[in-house]
Amino acid sequence: MTKSLPPKSLVLYADDDADDRELIREAFEEFSSLIDLVTFDKGSELLQFLQNYTPLQPGPCLIILDVNMPGVDGKQALRKIRMMDHIKDVPVVMFTTSTLPSEAAFAQAYGAGFVTKPLHTQQIHQIIHELINHCTDDVKERIRNQKGN
Amino acid sequence: MTKKAIGLAEYNELTQEQQLDILHRDGAYVGKRKIGQQTVVLFQLYGFYVEVYYKQYRRQIDHTLATNDVNIVHPYFDQINIKGLNKDKDDK
Repeated sequence: MTKSLPPKSLVLYADDDADDRELIREAFEEFSSLIDLVTFDKGSELLQFLQNYTPLQPGPCLIILDVNMPGVDGKQALRKIRMMDHIKDVPVVMFTTSTLPSEAAFAQAYGAGFVTKPLHTQQIHQIIHELINHCTDDVKERIRNQKGN
Repeated sequence: MTKKAIGLAEYNELTQEQQLDILHRDGAYVGKRKIGQQTVVLFQLYGFYVEVYYKQYRRQIDHTLATNDVNIVHPYFDQINIKGLNKDKDDK
């Protein structure tokens, strides 16, 4: 009897800062058996990717958006995501260097989380778990199970 | 947690761990620059500025520099998001 593994969950991350993309990519390696991280250096590229997604495909379990990006920024991307019927309920986190209350309020108004980028190593671990906490329940459950093994 | 603005002198009296916690919580990112291979990030914190010099970006900090000299902003002028600042002002 063959046992099939569940497909990996998909996390999408848009950030124009190559250093931050690399940081998150490395941080998510811990979950690489469960999660595929796909990164975009422009908000517009993320939106294009989502527009090409069909409702029949399993959607991403989490979308992480940098706030300050040239062109389509994180806030514009979030507004558009919430208008896409097949994607609008996916958890989104604004991942930002900003601590402005107005930006946190914007994220809240659009049902998104708000996580400030880390300053140093000790904060990275905590922040990755904050990001994971925004994932769908089934993903969190699988991560818990993996850690229990 | 209630935010409490502190001055530069009080900030300098804190341990590095306390300084970084406050900077992460309340610091407003201004910009990032490179000096050779080293990455430096500038934050505005209350009424002064803090530059973070990294050994390894967002991982290992070499040292930080806190000052109330506005000239520290000059290398970051091209990155200052005036649109964002105006928006925040409009929101108030």
